[in-house]
Amino acid sequence: MATTLEQQAPGPRSAEEERLLALRKKEIRDRWIWRLAGYVFFLLAWALVSRIVGDNLIPGPLRIARTIPELIESGRFFSSFGATLTRIGIGFGLAFLIGIVIGVLTQSRWWNGFFRDAVTISLVSPSLIWALTGLVIWGFEPQGWIFAIVMTTFAVVTVNVAEGIRALPKDLTDMSRAFGVTNWRRQRDIVFPFLAPFVFTALRFGFSVGWKVTVLTEVFSSNEGIGFEMRVASQLFRMDELFAWAISFFIFALVLEKLVLQRYERKFFRWRAEAST
Amino acid sequence: MAEIKVEGLSKEFGVGEDRVVALENVNLDVGGHVFVSIVGPSGCGKSTLLNILSGIETPSSGKVTITQDNHDAEPGYVFQAARLLPWRSVMDNLLFVQKDRSDETKARCQKYLEMVQLGDKVDKYPGELSGGMQQRVGIARAFSIEPDVLFMDEPFSHLDAITARSLRRELHEMWSQTKKTVLFVTHDVGEAVELSNRILVFAKGGKLEDDLQIDLPFPRDPAEDAVAVAKAQVLRKFEELDLIAS
Ligand SMILES: Nc1ncnc2c1ncn2[C@@H]1O[C@H](COP(=O)(O)OP(=O)(O)O)[C@@H](O)[C@H]1O
Ligand SMILES: [Mg+2]
Repeated sequence: MATTLEQQAPGPRSAEEERLLALRKKEIRDRWIWRLAGYVFFLLAWALVSRIVGDNLIPGPLRIARTIPELIESGRFFSSFGATLTRIGIGFGLAFLIGIVIGVLTQSRWWNGFFRDAVTISLVSPSLIWALTGLVIWGFEPQGWIFAIVMTTFAVVTVNVAEGIRALPKDLTDMSRAFGVTNWRRQRDIVFPFLAPFVFTALRFGFSVGWKVTVLTEVFSSNEGIGFEMRVASQLFRMDELFAWAISFFIFALVLEKLVLQRYERKFFRWRAEAST
Repeated sequence: MAEIKVEGLSKEFGVGEDRVVALENVNLDVGGHVFVSIVGPSGCGKSTLLNILSGIETPSSGKVTITQDNHDAEPGYVFQAARLLPWRSVMDNLLFVQKDRSDETKARCQKYLEMVQLGDKVDKYPGELSGGMQQRVGIARAFSIEPDVLFMDEPFSHLDAITARSLRRELHEMWSQTKKTVLFVTHDVGEAVELSNRILVFAKGGKLEDDLQIDLPFPRDPAEDAVAVAKAQVLRKFEELDLIAS
């Protein structure tokens, strides 16, 4: 008797379930194949152009694959990435705080009027303006690049946070009021979880903008960091190093975006995924 | 015993051309183990009344007191939409409105979730439940604080007829067992007659027009003659008051 029970318990998958599962697997496999195809195509095109134009002007992928380990061995690789990361950490960290404060303030009509055009200007103006201004005023001092990073990124945070606060679910806060829930618990269980995705979006967008301006400030006003290395490489016409820095930068940005930020987002917002299935 | 006292209550929204009178000079006294329905056309201030009673809104003038044996009473509220926190599990949604998180409190939440037949869904997120189940979580949440009075604002109006019917039965069962004072807003006269001892009729402009007693034994089957007759009487009253749009 026990055997029949055991056979029943897990329940064999129905033919329909099997079919759907196979279909899902195929879809995932296809997506990976295309993604890989994209990389192969890009590398081949790159190699071809390098062959036509000449290895000195555009070094091919194989040469870069040798240059990157050389940079790592020399110790410059990690110290430069470290320097750039420190800059973006300080600059964007500050911009993030300022952006949130202004985002909260813009709930008031007067502060909204006060900051409105400044936010728009920050959103539309090229970061070059701030990088140059910072350089002229402060030279190589940290204030220069901090100024440039803050000016280009704070508005991204402000806009997202303000949008989140405007959309705060009044039906839920009313509910908590009717039940006499304490203000602290209301903040913790309604306001923060609701704003979290907005803040996260702000973080992601702000970071991606932050990268660009940080590297830019290093080109102008620094003697360390990826931007600085790229400037030196281009001045000395070391195209392989210039490419190696650029490619490392792409890889780093991709890894950060895909592996770190996206994973956190998924973990953070599990309730959303469950809701949509 | 819980008692709700409303004296000279008025509520206006907006100023100048936007001014809306939601409630006008409402006087009311409700107490004990009663199920009171509030009916009337939409926009006549029913939700506003519950919102003032539960402290979400403040009155423009007049006085509202809700007491339980001479101290402030604790209200529970079931809304038209479930109003659950989508980022919290079913159990955490109930715990959100509790004073503490002791084992005793958790057991009580579990008990009321079982009463609405959701004992096995405590770890689900609201988004994983059907509309009817979400509404039941809202009902369990209101009961789980064991409130002295219970406000319900058209709690079944978004549900299909069959789900609404079974929830009405569950609600009546829970009301009989827990002996609460219930204030139940609905625009469905049949629902009001089926569930309540007393029906308050509101008219446009937020005036309390009539106060009807329904003295029929529970449970009431809408198919029964006496219930059908009572419903017809209430509807006639509506016509007299000119509440049914022609
Ligand atoms: N927050 C508000 N601001 C402005 N007007 C409101 C507000 N709440 C309700 N009203 C108005 O008050 C009147 C009564 O609304 P409500 O109590 O929701 O009616 P009911 O629940 O009976 O349908 C309506 O005319 C409505 O437009
Ligand atoms: Mg209403």
